[in-house]
Amino acid sequence: MVAPTVKRRRPLTPYLLIAPALLFLAAFFGYPMVQGLILAVYDDEAVLPLLEDPGIEAESLGTLPQGTGLTVLDQRANLIDGELTSDLLTEEWFKVSALDSNDQTVEGWAPETRIRIREEADDGTPLAGTVRTKLAAGADPQTTLFQEASESADTAAKLDARTRVRIVDTATLELWFLVTPQDDETEVDQSLEGWAPSRFIQIFGEGELGRVDRGTEGQFTSRFIEKMAEDRFFGPAWRTTLLLMVLILPVQFVLATLMALVIHARLKATSIFLYIYSIPMGMSDLAVGILFFSLFTGNGFINSFLEGIGLIDEPRSFLSIDTRNWIIAAIVLAELWRATSIVMVIIVSGLQSIPDETLEAAELFGASYWQRVRYIMLPLLRPSIQVALILRTILAFQVFAVVIALGGGEVVTVLANETYRQYFALRNTNVASAYAVFILLLSIASAFFYLRAVRTQDELSST
Amino acid sequence: MSIDSEKPAVMDDETPIQERRAPMSWGRIGTYVGAIFVSLWILVPMYFLFSMAFTTQETVRSYPKSVLPFVPFSTSTMRFFLGSEGVAEGLANSLIVAVLALVLSTLLAAPAGYAVARYLFTGRDVFRLAILAVRAFPIVVLSIPLAVLFIRVDMFDSLISVALMHTVLALPTSILVIASVFASVPYELEEAGQVFGASPLQSFRHIVLPLVLPGIAASSVFAFVLSWNEVFAASVLTLENRTLPALLLNSLSESSDAYQFAGGFFLMVPSLIFMFFIRKYLFNMWGQVSK
Repeated sequence: MVAPTVKRRRPLTPYLLIAPALLFLAAFFGYPMVQGLILAVYDDEAVLPLLEDPGIEAESLGTLPQGTGLTVLDQRANLIDGELTSDLLTEEWFKVSALDSNDQTVEGWAPETRIRIREEADDGTPLAGTVRTKLAAGADPQTTLFQEASESADTAAKLDARTRVRIVDTATLELWFLVTPQDDETEVDQSLEGWAPSRFIQIFGEGELGRVDRGTEGQFTSRFIEKMAEDRFFGPAWRTTLLLMVLILPVQFVLATLMALVIHARLKATSIFLYIYSIPMGMSDLAVGILFFSLFTGNGFINSFLEGIGLIDEPRSFLSIDTRNWIIAAIVLAELWRATSIVMVIIVSGLQSIPDETLEAAELFGASYWQRVRYIMLPLLRPSIQVALILRTILAFQVFAVVIALGGGEVVTVLANETYRQYFALRNTNVASAYAVFILLLSIASAFFYLRAVRTQDELSST
Repeated sequence: MSIDSEKPAVMDDETPIQERRAPMSWGRIGTYVGAIFVSLWILVPMYFLFSMAFTTQETVRSYPKSVLPFVPFSTSTMRFFLGSEGVAEGLANSLIVAVLALVLSTLLAAPAGYAVARYLFTGRDVFRLAILAVRAFPIVVLSIPLAVLFIRVDMFDSLISVALMHTVLALPTSILVIASVFASVPYELEEAGQVFGASPLQSFRHIVLPLVLPGIAASSVFAFVLSWNEVFAASVLTLENRTLPALLLNSLSESSDAYQFAGGFFLMVPSLIFMFFIRKYLFNMWGQVSK
């Protein structure tokens, strides 16, 4: 690149000019990247605190990790804190007004279970009812009205059974549970006993057992990375990704160098060839996947051709579950078709930077074309090849749509596909992030590897 | 239309071409043969797919297939595809997203590219290195956290969020291309304009802008093509408002061959058209990386 012209008069100008791009990248690249790294190792629903009393302001007694088995000791209705979502266990409460046994008008809250509705408005809103009779022997025959819609609120009044009441208000309350870890939960503090709202707890059976569904406090964890490593697709995914790379890259670089030499040979129709060779560069990997699907599919062109020349009698299936190797072969061809152009362009750029004089001098001294390629062009192309290698390898870790289009993503799977599966099909963003971070680490490692490998060669050749 | 007469980028130097061209030798003939073979390798598969996109659906299902072009020629496959559910919206979505990405990335990249080309400032090399790092960055890695971010700010499944993502992908390349385009216009030209009495803005507008406009257009087109093609991020960031590639990818398992082939045709068309116009700038995009 040409060295920039020095313009120092307004030292702030360049910073103002790059500021929009920098801010944009910070907001939509830097920030999400950091978030992505955090997602892979941080569980923001890791532990659930158990509270001293049912109520969000109560003091925490200790925390239980997600998944802990619970014994439910008691339950109580409480005002809903936060949104009313479908995972809540709720209870309806009524605010009623009635005449008590002393003919005083009283008002207060009682749970729906204590009131039998006798009168409803057209839209189903309860208007009036009677207090139910308590059936249990020895229970207080009167029903308590609370000052607020909560069993922990103060008593407002007491009503006899079968008292007629007017229902003036309704409220939906969330159940809270007094829980303690089950006996077989040996990794947590067994003596812990406290309250938690229903939204964080799953209740089983008759309501006496449960488990911590999700926590409210975050914690760093290697859980997602372990889950990724134990995933049954993880092994096949990274092995296939590497296998594809090993099969594709060497052929690709030879092919790209040949294409670059053709372009550099300054044929009459170079412009046309350059256009044709660069078409695949602008093509979607999905489009190329579909393209090769049209060739390899059962009634596709390859079968038609093979039958046309009499090699086979009936169409073979190349892209079925039993033909894993054929699927891989199709992917290799598709990737060679698609991604060789970009390597070619980088190498042509490198060739252009070799001075013509150098090549002419070599020609004058009697070097043949292949000698010039071998001893002058290739060594001088090393930086370009290094860049192309880094770029292609990073792109190869992301191969995705070609694999889906040709193999469906089950028989042959790759890392990017597993990231997508975890995110989309399994809705597991954290494990998807773990996969993404794994791809990132592989990319960085391979970039460093190529930088080092090429430098080592330089050092060797200089000694 | 004669493409031959156009002067390709690789010949853009001062030595007359004729002097360096060796007489027709066996080696040269071999090079031509090789060049044509590679061209066939690229063109023939495309030809097969296109002939499938423009024939009857019966032909798409038939076996064995004829290698004759477009027999019988029919737009029925195309009409079936365009009439399928979601396709018209998908095409429109793709177009909107690609145009948004084009406009955003060009607007952000043009000033940054100018700064990199014209000014020596502290941090310039760091900036260029950071840009290169962003460009080499895996799309897969960025998509997931960006989806989480967009869900959080209630922008998930919107075209603008996909366009923002594609802008991130296109921006580094745009900046580097535009910088190299500006760098190819000597600053002396701008100064000369000012010597003759033009204001800095006037000399930029009348001297530099006409010279760099084709290059900036090429980088914009590149952003458009990139956005049109992008599958992974578009699939992760959308649910209902699918772009065409995302729609195709997620219906691959249940769609007919005719649907897929016609869809593949639509994905390929922009590349065919635009690569023709920007092929000379490909080297601006990639040449400088290796220095």
